[in-house]
Amino acid sequence: MKVFLKVWRQAGPDVTGRLVDYTADNVSPDMSFLEMLDSVNETLIAKGEEPIAFDSACREGICGTCGVMVDGRPHGPDPCTTVCQLHMRRYKDGDTIVIEPWRARAFPLIKDLVVDRSAFDRIIQAGGYTSVNTGGAQDANAILIPKTVADEAFESATCIGCGACVAACKNASAALFTSAKVTHLSLLPQGQVEAKTRVVAMVDAMDENGFGGCSNEGECEAVCPKGISLKNIATLNREYRRALLS
Amino acid sequence: MTLDSKVPSGPIQEKWDRHRFDSKLVNPANRRKHTVIIVGTGLAGASAAASLGELGYNVLSFCIHDSARRAHSIAAQGGINAAKNYQNDGDSIWRLFYDTVKGGDYRAREANVYRLAQLSVNIIDQCVAQGVPFAREYGGQLDNRSFGGAQVSRTFYARGQTGQQLLLGAYQSMMRQVAKGTVQMFAQREMLDVVVVNGKARGIIVRNLVTGKLERYVADAVCLATGGYGTAYYLSTNAVNSNVTAAWRAHKRGAFFANPCYTQIHPTCIPVNGDDQSKLTLMSESLRNDGRVWVPKNAGDKRHPNDIPESERDYYLERKYPSFGNLVPRDVASRNAKQVCDDGRGVGDSGLAVFLDFKDAINRLGEPVVASRYGNLFEMYQKITDENPYKEPMRMYPAIHYTMGGLWVDYNLMSTIPGLHVLGEANFSDHGANRLGASALMQGLADGYFVIPYTLAHYIASTPVEKITTDHDAFKEAEASVQNRITRMLTVKGSKTPRQLHRELGRLLWDEVGMSRTDAGLKRALARIPQLREEFWQNVSVPGDANNLNKNLEYAGRVADYLEFGELLALDALHRTESCGGHFREESQTPDGEAKRDDENFSYAAAWEYQGVGTAPTLHKEPLAFEHVKPSQRSYK
Amino acid sequence: MKVLRALSTTVGSKFLVALTGLLLVGFLIGHLAGNLLILLGGDKFNAYGHALITNPLVVPAELALMALLLVHMGKAIAHVLRGRSARPEAYAKKSWAGGPSRKSWASTTMALSGIFLLAFLIVHIATFKFGPYYASTEAGVRDLQRLVVEIFKNPLYAAGYVVAMGIVGLHLRHGVSSAFQSLGLMTNGVWTARLLNFGLLLAVIIAGGFALIPVWVYLFL
Repeated sequence: MKVFLKVWRQAGPDVTGRLVDYTADNVSPDMSFLEMLDSVNETLIAKGEEPIAFDSACREGICGTCGVMVDGRPHGPDPCTTVCQLHMRRYKDGDTIVIEPWRARAFPLIKDLVVDRSAFDRIIQAGGYTSVNTGGAQDANAILIPKTVADEAFESATCIGCGACVAACKNASAALFTSAKVTHLSLLPQGQVEAKTRVVAMVDAMDENGFGGCSNEGECEAVCPKGISLKNIATLNREYRRALLS
Repeated sequence: MTLDSKVPSGPIQEKWDRHRFDSKLVNPANRRKHTVIIVGTGLAGASAAASLGELGYNVLSFCIHDSARRAHSIAAQGGINAAKNYQNDGDSIWRLFYDTVKGGDYRAREANVYRLAQLSVNIIDQCVAQGVPFAREYGGQLDNRSFGGAQVSRTFYARGQTGQQLLLGAYQSMMRQVAKGTVQMFAQREMLDVVVVNGKARGIIVRNLVTGKLERYVADAVCLATGGYGTAYYLSTNAVNSNVTAAWRAHKRGAFFANPCYTQIHPTCIPVNGDDQSKLTLMSESLRNDGRVWVPKNAGDKRHPNDIPESERDYYLERKYPSFGNLVPRDVASRNAKQVCDDGRGVGDSGLAVFLDFKDAINRLGEPVVASRYGNLFEMYQKITDENPYKEPMRMYPAIHYTMGGLWVDYNLMSTIPGLHVLGEANFSDHGANRLGASALMQGLADGYFVIPYTLAHYIASTPVEKITTDHDAFKEAEASVQNRITRMLTVKGSKTPRQLHRELGRLLWDEVGMSRTDAGLKRALARIPQLREEFWQNVSVPGDANNLNKNLEYAGRVADYLEFGELLALDALHRTESCGGHFREESQTPDGEAKRDDENFSYAAAWEYQGVGTAPTLHKEPLAFEHVKPSQRSYK
Repeated sequence: MKVLRALSTTVGSKFLVALTGLLLVGFLIGHLAGNLLILLGGDKFNAYGHALITNPLVVPAELALMALLLVHMGKAIAHVLRGRSARPEAYAKKSWAGGPSRKSWASTTMALSGIFLLAFLIVHIATFKFGPYYASTEAGVRDLQRLVVEIFKNPLYAAGYVVAMGIVGLHLRHGVSSAFQSLGLMTNGVWTARLLNFGLLLAVIIAGGFALIPVWVYLFL
């Protein structure tokens, strides 16, 4: 089948960009969305034109590298799916697809569809860890953790840091990303020790990096490829409240 | 040059302890005066950066991704082995050691493997302290599952995302050090050369992938943790950005490359579907715990699997290997899948697939239990294939997954270039000719958390280095050679895309240096690769320029390296006329088609010394002695 | 100091928006309860009004309400502006995510409905509190009921008031449950569902209750 693309092209951060029309021919329904873009790029490269720059790595939905707005929705139309796992069988012959980069002050554009998400690293640097040095850890079974708690912590820990939450949010807020880490660690006994300082420091980092605040709309949850729940943001708020009141 | 493995003397149980005691130390106050470069931020690189940062060294960490957290370790699904014996089922350090040496088909260095088994225990403790949410039992204790090649349950896991959770643990520890200033993070930097000064690795040349500028970094020692070379095959389970470039450039600077022909074909991947496929997706080996592998008994049976009665199904792994059944090691499972497909009993449109069936498991355990164990894998499968594994069997086929070969290192993880250490999948040391499931994570973290902090300290404390800056001639020369290569690629302005050439190389390697290899096929590959390489340099198209983000230029550089490396891969496979582990030579098999080793002639690690592009490399042999695990014909029957 | 600094972050600011919002909702509930006395007759309503304005605490209470409102508005406006500046370049195409998202017309128009409500509040106070003074039969007691009836007998005013209450409902429909989320009370599934429903219910009750008055007055008085 054939699909029509409108792709954001921007040669660098300081030049203006625009949507450029491309046609993807011979698209097979079994192709992933990024393989479709690969094939467009192959045509461009063979003609000596610069291919569309976009990020991707594992192509199995776990590394969080890929991520573009597809028709105004991060990672495209399917719930709980990264754009590398989106397949072209989702589209019909003749469809037009608009592809744009994540847009946020905290994610400055590098080129075309590629943005700089190092702000997420800085949020983790502020406190998204337990302060234990290598060596000297006690036996792994010394602290029992109820299965339900471990499972819940795991759910929060599955965040892949792709930035879809920021991209979808009208305030470009990083609340879901930050809260997933705060929640993961606050649920576990190992993370309790620093729970209060962690949440304060991570919220500060979130603000310093230029993300907006949370309006509790939950667009982030709806577009999160890993289904990270809005409960995490509530937990972040609760942890922050506890830190504030102590 | 003779290869000195530097394995300490003494009983195997005491080697590592003794070695640690005999190693020199760096005074805590002096550590920050020593700079260490770590390339790669996967499990090995991130854990090394975190641990060395905690100790107080001045660590410079580099990765090609936009964040350290993206390294491909993140995609490891199944789990991590550790000899904890929490299940009281007879596990021990000795058994893990034994299983790993045997699983590696007696081509690993015993002392390294023993150390790995010892350290496995500490890894789990460390990760739990970091807050890694491993799966737990209702009583609150850690849960375990079984993996291929073992008859005990020693695999710790976090649903089907163990690699992700372990990597995030290491990444977070590393970010903590970044905040403290002991680790400086350089993301979006691709290492393109190792700088060797007076015989010692003293720095690297990287390309800043955003600005395109070449940058020089100097250090007292360099660690490579840059992963394997599976992407040489084009289609593999690796990330599309994984590559051999850092290891290959180090090889060209004098680091020997060992056992490149030991490649692991993972038996359970989603089959290839069409020409445009960019990668293959692995389905965790853990699926074989409850899934049953089968094909129709009759060749050419194209009925829907649910319509094929039990009596006409061949559960060939259970039939041939009654004691291990579906849990035979990966190489055995893969080869058997190939055999049944070669017999014409393969399933799916291409005939290149076998069924992995969960019907019995669902009947026995109920759908919720199966979903809790494999739910995310089933979802992933359904997304890609549009088929529901709860309702019909999955289709699986082997794919290139992991590479046991890598840069040769001694017991201290140091390559043949003094000061250049190699960690994780990038080195060759611990898995022999075949890696057991859930052992890659174990090795990466053992190297980074628990081995390199000691051995690197010893190197630094015992090796005086000259005070140099990045203005040293060696840096200038290295940068110029990197620049030259980039300029050459940009000026070809041909009409073939790097991907076309890569795909062609990949197909060639898969056909001739894949699951089963022959003398004639390997020679065909060796004849064809130089032609492809020539074609690359005559006709590659790399539009744009080098002074900004140019992903196609990065890719072209990696393809150019595969085209050199592929030759070594085929050559190593040609020279090793025995079958062992992941290396199956059709000429060397038992009457019933199992891999047949030739211990008399090949009980060594083959370490190749670079002599120039197109020039035959020199072979160096590190003899392998098996004092504790007596080599025998592996049997999983 | 620590607390002040914390309350100036995005999360702390939303605590304040939530707390002041919920307190204002509390005021609305009281206000509604008092106003509904008009359904029981003019005397009761006037007596309630008299008791209220002669209470010495009324001025401090009014000042407190005004302070709540100022904090609520100030923090909410800052929140919106911060959100805007966090996305300097708009998408060419943007669609709602759907699925579990709580985005609604209510949530997307919070700033607009808020500004409208401020304007309404000014008119409302000018109309009633500072409107014409009618003396009742009882000495010193203002006949508020007469004023209310006079105003709501005007169909345009009554209709306008009902519409305004619709906007109050819209604002509360997102605002109430959002406040619970901001305060970190929706950390578990069961309570999240309950609080979401409670927020909706409260919005309907308050908006409906207030809207009932002009309708009642117009039709039956």
